[in-house]
Amino acid sequence: MENGREDVVLEVRDVTMKFNKYEVGVNSLKELVVRAFKKNLKKSKFECLKGVSFDVHRGEAVALIGKNGAGKSTLLKIVSGILKPTTGYAKRYGRITPLLRLGAGFDGNATGLENIYLNAAILGYTKKDIDAKVPAIIEFSELGDFIYSPIKTYSSGMMARLGFSIAVNMESEILLIDEILAVGDIAFNKKCHEKLAELQKQGLTFLIVSHGEAVKRYCKRAIWIDGGLVREDGDISVVFKHYTEAMTKKPAAPQPAAAQAAKPAIAQVQKPAAPAHAEAKPAQSAAQQAQKTVPAQPATASKPAQPKQ
Amino acid sequence: MKNKTGSITQRMYLMRLLVRRNIKNQYYRSFIGVLWTVLNPLLNMLVMAFVFSAIFGRHTDGLDYPIYILSGNIIFGVMRSSTSSSLTCLVGQSDMLQKTKVPIEVFPTANTFSALVTFGFSFIALLIVAGFRALPIWDGIGASYYTFHWQIVLVVLILPALTIFSLGISFFLSGLYVFFRDIRHIYTVLLTLWTYLTPLFYSLNSFEGTDSILPKIMKFNPMYHYVDAFRDMLMGAIPSVKTWIAMYVFAAISIIIGWLFLQAIKNKIAANL
Repeated sequence: MENGREDVVLEVRDVTMKFNKYEVGVNSLKELVVRAFKKNLKKSKFECLKGVSFDVHRGEAVALIGKNGAGKSTLLKIVSGILKPTTGYAKRYGRITPLLRLGAGFDGNATGLENIYLNAAILGYTKKDIDAKVPAIIEFSELGDFIYSPIKTYSSGMMARLGFSIAVNMESEILLIDEILAVGDIAFNKKCHEKLAELQKQGLTFLIVSHGEAVKRYCKRAIWIDGGLVREDGDISVVFKHYTEAMTKKPAAPQPAAAQAAKPAIAQVQKPAAPAHAEAKPAQSAAQQAQKTVPAQPATASKPAQPKQ
Repeated sequence: MKNKTGSITQRMYLMRLLVRRNIKNQYYRSFIGVLWTVLNPLLNMLVMAFVFSAIFGRHTDGLDYPIYILSGNIIFGVMRSSTSSSLTCLVGQSDMLQKTKVPIEVFPTANTFSALVTFGFSFIALLIVAGFRALPIWDGIGASYYTFHWQIVLVVLILPALTIFSLGISFFLSGLYVFFRDIRHIYTVLLTLWTYLTPLFYSLNSFEGTDSILPKIMKFNPMYHYVDAFRDMLMGAIPSVKTWIAMYVFAAISIIIGWLFLQAIKNKIAANL
């Protein structure tokens, strides 16, 4: 794989991404004026990525893993050029097809066929390119005559099929995939995986965001993003092992809030009321536990689950 | 170089698809479909002509009133529909803009071209009305209210300026709306104000002799020049050099501001959708 620099198709260098926290809230002129008067316009920066660097070589398939909110999707958007990083750069050598949300940007009033043309034209293909690919797209999507019906009559599964078919059938060198491998029913899902495997054999480069182990069939390499940094980059089974350990076990660096949450829980161990109830429950997702307002999780006090912020 | 021309053809193709989609969606699946694009301005004109001719009389500035009112409205309509549809176009496409790297300029541009296509249909409506008024059947004495002049073809020289002017505002508004979602309400009001400050159904001549400020500020209203030039042509006159300069200078100012603004905020748009 390491064939030198000319083989690099994706070059990500020192990418940092900052969001103004207030940008999320203020999106009206009224709000801006009101806050300016109240001197409430603090621009607290939220740093989503803090200097991420990696290279992806031609024909490589790389999995991006990390917990929710770690910055994986933002990184994918930067790689595809949708977002511009605050500092650093992401260079692409070759045509890139982002598969971030299937069926996004379809026009409900237009037919499936019209949407194929529109979607592909927006991705940057010419009429000639599209004309040549349309039969393959229609065949792959298995939509049959529905291709002549307006998209708004489609089910979400049909929409996803169409989106996937367009993305994988148009010629490109790099595919960016964001947790969309679960497309359609079992049969279609199988077909998608077969198609991806075929594309991989043809030498396409993949960058896949995923939580599941399913990506192991494509990827030999994984990059673990944690807290806006590359925590580990290497062989997928090793990285996945460490990642799974970190996610299920005690967090490596407990945040202050986590410590605080743990205190009352320990205090409650003395009270004999709750334990039986809590112990009966299987350790569910951390998010679910954190949502409970009653801090009665004594069973997990010795092995505290990480509360979601 | 070849790559460059290839990408321009591609961009043109995308633009064509977007314009076609806009026009189709406008009258999607309505009873008589695309015919509405001609019927709509025609019927609107009839209503306005019916209402306002009672107030302003049959002739205005030497032009038959129905033609006066229709000509003003279809010129103003290019700017109106282009800007008001562009206002929300980037936010409306947020799905797509967050999913793929798209040159964002294509969306306001497509809207402006759609407005231009609608103008084409409205122009047909205008020709129908003019043809009708040119028949020697009126007044019971075989008089006609309108005569055609060759200068009407000069409208193609107004359109580039009008398009560029509308495009500049469309660029500006589409970008601004991403950050301030309440400007939609402000713009609706401003557009109404602008409509009434442009002599669309009244005539500036009716202010002669009064100390109204309106005629004095009118030369700063860009839309006045486009409307005025078009009416000159309909009456068989060629607009003055001053009018031509005003039309193209306003267009240039508008496109420069709009374009620079959009370039300045381009990289922040995807994060704010």
